[in-house]
Formats: sequence, structure tokens, C-alpha cells
Amino acid sequence: MRLTKSQRHLLEGGSDAQRQAMRILLALAKLSDADRLIPVTGAHVSGASYKMIGDPGLEFLEDAARDARVVIPTTVNPLGTDLQQWQDLGIPPEFAAKQERIAAAYERMGVRPTYSCTPYHLGTRPALGEHIAWAESNAVCFANSVLGARTNRESGPSALAAAIVGATPEYGLHLDEGRRPTVVVNAPVRPRDLDFSLIGLVAGERVGDGLPFFRGFRGSESDLKWLGAALASSGSCGMFLLEGVTPEARRASRRGLPSISITRKDLDEARWQHTDGTDADLIALGSPQLSAEELRDIARRVERSPPRIPVWVFTSRAVREANPEAVATIERVGGRVLADTCLEVTLLEHRFGTVATPSGKGAHYLPTLCKQKVMRSWTRRRGRASDCPVEFSRSRREREARSAPT
Amino acid sequence: MSGRIFAFPQGKGSTVGSYVIYGLAKRGVGPAAIVNSAAEGIIAVGATLAGIPLVDRFDVGGLRTGDRLIVDGTRGTLELPDVRAVHVVTALLRNQGRILIVRRSEKVGSFRGRWSAVSGYLEGREVPKTRAVREIREETGIRGAIFRAASSPVLARDDATMYVVHPFLFDVPGRRVRLDWENVEHRWIRPTDLDRYDTVPRLRDVVAAALSTSNSKSPTRTRSTRRPRPR
Repeated sequence: MRLTKSQRHLLEGGSDAQRQAMRILLALAKLSDADRLIPVTGAHVSGASYKMIGDPGLEFLEDAARDARVVIPTTVNPLGTDLQQWQDLGIPPEFAAKQERIAAAYERMGVRPTYSCTPYHLGTRPALGEHIAWAESNAVCFANSVLGARTNRESGPSALAAAIVGATPEYGLHLDEGRRPTVVVNAPVRPRDLDFSLIGLVAGERVGDGLPFFRGFRGSESDLKWLGAALASSGSCGMFLLEGVTPEARRASRRGLPSISITRKDLDEARWQHTDGTDADLIALGSPQLSAEELRDIARRVERSPPRIPVWVFTSRAVREANPEAVATIERVGGRVLADTCLEVTLLEHRFGTVATPSGKGAHYLPTLCKQKVMRSWTRRRGRASDCPVEFSRSRREREARSAPT
Repeated sequence: MSGRIFAFPQGKGSTVGSYVIYGLAKRGVGPAAIVNSAAEGIIAVGATLAGIPLVDRFDVGGLRTGDRLIVDGTRGTLELPDVRAVHVVTALLRNQGRILIVRRSEKVGSFRGRWSAVSGYLEGREVPKTRAVREIREETGIRGAIFRAASSPVLARDDATMYVVHPFLFDVPGRRVRLDWENVEHRWIRPTDLDRYDTVPRLRDVVAAALSTSNSKSPTRTRSTRRPRPR
């Protein structure tokens, strides 16, 4: 292991937190046979929801916050509830109090209080080839795939250690050889809206921890966000390539790789596999948190056809505050726009039994984390408008049909 | 587990596992040391946070509850003072998808009557692979075995004896076998049928280890071995 002079100084003469951070990075370097630590320009830390990390996590963070300070711009994942609305949501006061202590600990360490799983929607957009240390699988997948930045799938503590030291072990997705595709995935399915989540779910299950090279479709940045989030949930992928779309796809060699196909039938199967309820009592949108465009899109839709059951929309504080009209529209029809938290880490189970969500990531995690039924239902396709009257982005064909003169 | 050494194959689950280990150690009820077969981030980070010595890449299948261990986390070493280590080689012979197993005779010193693969004791400073080649010739009469893979040792425990089994995989051109005195019977079986036989300890793990290393056909591309899981 080669350390620079300043890294050696942190390990031997740093504060308690710096020494501990160095020891974590060195332990992980040893596991992955990395022989040095490389500087990173930013970090994104996961593990801020009290629901997920509980008392052991709270205790660790408060201990760390005594003398740990981050040395690079660092953002942090969503909390377990919206701390400005928790009383209306019926969250137990003890939960909210502990959640506040977690947030305060991060802020003492100098972490920006973004509480978002989509730092890339909030102006944190590392450039092609930039080395970063991000936790939160959907953000990792987005950064590597769509932006071409370089990060491994960090855990909460390892991303925090990188933020304290300003460096991360050099292995895996930081290296050119770790960014080569391992399997070609043909998916000539003409995907629209929710299909991107389904492609991600199916591919993740089949590819595991490989690096898929997708062919046969195109998608917008928002589409790829949903695909990547689902892919990184059902599989442990940290990156994908999409022919003709993602920046590193053109230079990737596919020679000699195994190839698999995803058909429309696979997508339908995946949809039913993730549906085990019939009557949802909540529609949850988000996971990952919605961008400003997605939030405004939802507002337009609920205004057009108000939902029969509550709609909870998850977004970041910044997006919520920048779009007061969209928020007011959603609230007018009985919905809620929650900020600083997200679907799979928020406390829901005290109030809801069955949740309908179009998010592949949400559908993957809800049953395992919340012990709840999850139902995904797609209005138009099943002709049951009462279940889930909102979809993400209506396909172009439908939009055109709607606007065409009759 | 306070004051004891906690040995388990590998960690699994979410990051909160790291925090739990930290919390245990802080309250003074954490393990004195951790031993893992496979290295993994959650445990490594947890042990680091907690200051608990961790030794990995050690086959915990050879350990028994109550064993005395000496763990040196700094050097990454582990000693069992009450256990005698005996090094053996096991040569797995493969021919068109079938593997050779042999039944040990009543004249051998251990595991009489049990099914095994071709194997033998390592003597002195002998190179394991050389011993494996010699055992193939002596026990089966097969010549022209082609070396395919060696994998890291599997530990098979028999009371106070630890058999350190060095697995090797060879492809052989034919199935004609001429047994010597050590074995009384032989069969060419599918690896999946191994469960039906009364074997020497951990033969299944030895076979799995030997076969798993041989699947990586292209050593230049490390990730290419990760094929998509069949549905």
C-alpha cells in the first residue's frame, strides 16, 4: 500500500476521526487489493434515516461528529421523515427526535443538509472521468453511467471516511478495466415511462454484479435515472452502458461477451412479480426523489384527474421550495409533497398497508424493508383507473393522440 | 459472544451491521476477534470502527465451537494450538463432465470404506502439485492428466486433526482406471450426485472449490466470469 505523505500523517498524527477514517479506507483497500488511495472531488453519504440505521447508527454518528469534519463537498441521503411535516404524518415524537439528532450530527461534520438521494438533480454533477465517493446505489449508477464520473458503490461509513480524508481506494469502477461491460443486454421493447423501471428490475436480476451493455432502445436522462435505480436495486450493478446514449458506450468493446435479451413478456412478468396486492391505500411517487420537471408533471396530472386515495410525492427540499405552485396543486387534491425523505427509507408502515408505486426501486425495497404489500398498477394498460391514476411520463404517442385535432 | 472469537463465513445485509458491531464493542460485549472465510465490506468496516481484530480468507468450516485460537489481526494470522495440521492433496479427475471418486480400502490409515477423490499426504517440503500428479499415477494408473486448476485449501476437521486439503483439478483423456491397494472401488459420477455417497469430510466443498476455479477460462478479463444468472 502506497500512501502519500499527507495520508500517512492523517493515519499517524490525525484526530481520532481522521485516524479511524484512514483505517476504514485501508481496510477496504486491502479487501479489494487496491494499492493506493486517490483524491476525490466530492462525497455522497448514505445512512441518514433513523428507520434504516436505528440506535446503533445514531450512536456512531454522534460519536463521530465530536471531531470528524469533511474536507470535500459532501451531500447526504434522505432522512426517515420530513422534519417539517412529521406531526401531520403521525410519526412518533421519539422517532422524529432521534431523526433530528442524526441530521444535527451530519451538519456538525460539515455535510450539506441536502437529504436527497438525487444529488445530481441539485447541481452536484461531477464531470466525465471525475473521481468521487458516493454511496446510495441509484446515485452511483447515475454518476457512473449517465455522467461518466467514477465511483464505486460505497457504503455509508466508507463514503463518510472518504469525505473526511478526501480520498478513496483505487479499484473497481475507478479503473478503466473495471468499467468494461460484462454482458450485452438486448431489449428491443420500445420502452415508455414505467418500462424503464421494469427493464432495470429484470436486467439487475439477471446480471447480478455485472456491468450490462444495453442495446435496442433510447431514453432521456430521466428515463435512465429510473432504469439505473431499479437495476442497482435488484442487482448490485454500479454502472451500465446504453448504446448511442451514455458517454462511455461508444468506446466499450463488446467482443466475446455473453448476450441476453429482454422481451415485452419479461417486463410484464416483472410487473406482476412485484404486485401482490389489489387495493392500494397510498400512491407513492419517488424513490429516487423527483426532479423539478417530474414534480411539475405530476402536478399537472393530478389536477387533470384527482386521485381517489392519498398521493405522497417524495422530492428534495430544494425542489419543493422552488416549485410552490406544483406543491399547492398536489396538496389541493389531498396529496402531500414530502421533502428530505424518500419512499423506501421513510416511515410508512404505521399508516399504510398497500402502497402503489411506479418506481422499480420502490417496488423492490418496499416488501423487504417495510413488510408491506406493494402493488404496481398501470392504469391504462389494465384499464383500472381507480388504482393508480398517475403515471410518470405519458408516452409521446399518447400525448400526440391527446393533442391531435379530432 | 463477549470475550470469545466469532467465526462465520461472511457478512451479509446492510450497513447497519457495521454500526451494530461498533455498538457491541463500545459496550464491552463485542467479540474478542472475528474470523471470516471471505472478506466483505460491512464486517471489515464494523471491525475497524470497533477496533476488533479481523482475520479473513480462513476457511471457518474447519473450526469447532470451543476451539482455542490465537488471532493476530495485525499480521492477519491465526493459530490453533490444540490442533495438529496434516497437509493432504486431493486431485479431482474430470472426464467429459464426470468426476472420479474412489472408495478407500480397509488397509488405509483413515476414513476406511468412505468415498474420496484421489488423494495423498504431503511429505516434507514437497510441492503439492507434484504430489498430486504422483498420486494420480499411483492410485489410478492414468497417464497424461492435464493440470487445470489449483484452489486455496479447504480445512476438514477430524477431532484434534485438521486436514489441510489442497484441491487440484485435472482433465484426463480416458476413464480406464487401475486401482492400487489404497482403494477398492471407483466410479465416474456427475458432481451433483456426490450427495448420495458416504464421503470423507468436506469432499463436496473440495470438489466445489476445484471446479469453481476452473470456470474462469479467460484470466485476462477478471469480470468476465460473472455470467448472468440463469432464470
